[in-house]
Amino acid sequence: MATISFAKSLVNPAVKLLLKQSHCSHIRTTTLPGLTPLSIILRRNYAEKQVFERTKPHCNVGTIGHVDHGKTTLTAAITKVLSDLNLAQSKGYADIDNAPEEKARGITINVAHVEYQTDARHYGHTDCPGHADYIKNMITGTAQMDGAILVVAATDGVMPQTREHLILAKQIGIQHVVVFINKVDAADQEMVELVEMEIRELMTEMGYDGDKIPVVKGSALCALEGKSKEIGADAITELLKEVDSFIPTPVRELDKPFLLPVESVHSIPGRGTVVTGRLHRGVLKKGTECEIIGHGKVMKTTVTGVEMFHKTLDEAQAGDQLGALVRAVKREQIKRGMVMAKPGTVKAHDSIEAAVYILSKEEGGRQKPFTSFIQLQMFSMTWDCATQVQIPDKEMVMPGEDTTLRLRLLKPMVCEAGQRFTLRLGDLTLGTGVITKINNNLSEEERLKLLEGKKAREKAAAKK
Amino acid sequence: MVNIMLNGRPKIHVIHMQHFSFKFTTSSSQKHAKKMLFQLIRHFHKGPVCRAAESSLLAKLRKKTGYTIANCKKALEMHNNDSEQAEAWLNEQAQAMGWAKATKLAGRTALQGLVAVKFDKGHGALVELNCETDFVAKNDKFHKMIEDATIACYKFAHTHLTAKGPITKMELDSEQLGNLPAEGGKKLSETLALFIGSVGENAVLRRAECWKANSSDIKISAYTHPAPTVSSDYSAGKYGALLAYKQPNDVEDIGKQLCQHIVGMAPKKIGNKEIDKPAKDADDEQALIFQEYLLDPSYTVEEILEEHKVQIIDYVRFSCGEVIEANMPGVEKQPLDTVQTLQ
Repeated sequence: MATISFAKSLVNPAVKLLLKQSHCSHIRTTTLPGLTPLSIILRRNYAEKQVFERTKPHCNVGTIGHVDHGKTTLTAAITKVLSDLNLAQSKGYADIDNAPEEKARGITINVAHVEYQTDARHYGHTDCPGHADYIKNMITGTAQMDGAILVVAATDGVMPQTREHLILAKQIGIQHVVVFINKVDAADQEMVELVEMEIRELMTEMGYDGDKIPVVKGSALCALEGKSKEIGADAITELLKEVDSFIPTPVRELDKPFLLPVESVHSIPGRGTVVTGRLHRGVLKKGTECEIIGHGKVMKTTVTGVEMFHKTLDEAQAGDQLGALVRAVKREQIKRGMVMAKPGTVKAHDSIEAAVYILSKEEGGRQKPFTSFIQLQMFSMTWDCATQVQIPDKEMVMPGEDTTLRLRLLKPMVCEAGQRFTLRLGDLTLGTGVITKINNNLSEEERLKLLEGKKAREKAAAKK
Repeated sequence: MVNIMLNGRPKIHVIHMQHFSFKFTTSSSQKHAKKMLFQLIRHFHKGPVCRAAESSLLAKLRKKTGYTIANCKKALEMHNNDSEQAEAWLNEQAQAMGWAKATKLAGRTALQGLVAVKFDKGHGALVELNCETDFVAKNDKFHKMIEDATIACYKFAHTHLTAKGPITKMELDSEQLGNLPAEGGKKLSETLALFIGSVGENAVLRRAECWKANSSDIKISAYTHPAPTVSSDYSAGKYGALLAYKQPNDVEDIGKQLCQHIVGMAPKKIGNKEIDKPAKDADDEQALIFQEYLLDPSYTVEEILEEHKVQIIDYVRFSCGEVIEANMPGVEKQPLDTVQTLQ
């Protein structure tokens, strides 16, 4: 009996805590006097990783520009200047340029990722080597950009491919670009002015407000080497100030209208129907009006209670795994894959356009390309639905490529621009994408056509 | 025009005068005059007058020639701000500067780019041109460059290939490609150097295939992916294939479709019915004839060939950037090449 109680006491977490505390307190209390013994234990367990402290709004920026115009030097200079203010960890040129190919989500992403903060915001900074890489990032959501810094060397000016850089920025939806004219130390005043003029002209031509775009002139190299302060460190500080003020902080998920993809539905005797899932965005309160949409149905009801871990909650926030009690709806009426949202904010659609990245064989995709009319299973939020694929601008799509696809769903599901999804065929993930455009819903005739085979399509084409 | 250089910049009154004389000469074109006037006014607001005249001259030269600002500036300084002489000098120097840039950048990895084809019934050319980033590969200048190279190869197939066997095939590496004559009497390597000087990125004429059919019953077809919406005898994409085949004229021509299949399914060999056996898993099939036909997976390629009475003679497939740079014979030689030509 005594042994059993001893074993029990070993398993008891409270006792465990005590044991650990006594074990390590004498090591750490000297170095961290302000911390309580409990936090010492927590710190001890995560000793290798620092804890990310969320004190400032976060914003993602990226550098774009010609290979030799100093994107990497600028990134290094930013971290150098900010590290002097204790706001970043200084990164050398080599650390950034030789960023390892990350295998994130099974998709190879070739991108350098650096973090730093200014007084106002915390930044994630990306630098991708090519157009296809940026597009892939945008589609897979690995590294998104809320704004960009366009780097142009004063010695070369606008290059022929700067136009392509801006086309990309437009394509991935970047509306705020700050220009940094680099290598000012190697050019004179009039060259810099001319470059500024050229850039403003080109930006205007590309549909940006060329006259209002902030243009900062400086030398990243000087900043990195700590030379000539006005064009070195000061220019970097000015650039960051412009980035702080010109690129707006993205709307947080918390501030958007609420949306809850339904994971499962339960019926609790005496209380009613409970919908569970993770709150995708927004805030959900008891008494909120809501709509439940999907699988071709729309229902209006009211949330009469919100629960988390069997405890009632006044207000659930985005990211919370919760159960919501709904009024006057039977369990059989709600199915997994439906979406509960603020009335009028989402709709079900069955004809959409999307930007899709098709996985290469190495990334777990298929070796073969595919052509139009292939039927795939589309997975998004908690729903999945068979969909017919049409390729508008190519004859086929090769693995490892990004492409635009027109997707026609067999039944209307909740879709909105910016929503991410996966396309699967059998047991293979073929690609991942993001919805870019919602088309008009299919007519009854079009929907019937979805089920037609190849022969029928050929027959119809021959008739025309 | 008298010019006194002061700290590398001419004195104010000289420039002033020059500006107006300049304005006078371009007054034939009202648009130009208007623009100059606009710039003048703009710079009255912005800074000293001298800068207005100077930068408009520089701006004009830059806009007209497209050379880097530093070079335009240098040209103006060398020729006492005479824009015509400066322009002539720039054009003269462009080739040398291109070579210098090309030599400087020669070691850098260039695996992006395009594969282009040009073909007719009896001839075909398949060319790969590489650059460092795909931004450049989307630029018009790059498209012009690869089109020039492809046309050069296509012409080469017409003029230089002599009969041997059913088809004559010629593989070109980057050095041989560079020596082909391009439009305007220049060598391809010279146009490439100009291109490198302009975009400031390394570019390599990687490889090419020139084909010629030696009898009238052999046809040549080609395909690139992504394919252009309107089919033509020239196209460029990330992947490309050339195909030589025999097919009687009374059957529907499926050369293009077969090329598309080769681009898509990347077979390693044609395969022989008697010797080879189909792979166990259809997805791993390397032999062309046993593969599932891309455009209708319910048939194998062999069945399609039989149905359309096609006999495949040969094919070649390029995928852009598939060649490992270190193994390419042309790359290391490139700097030497440029040194030779500079002499």
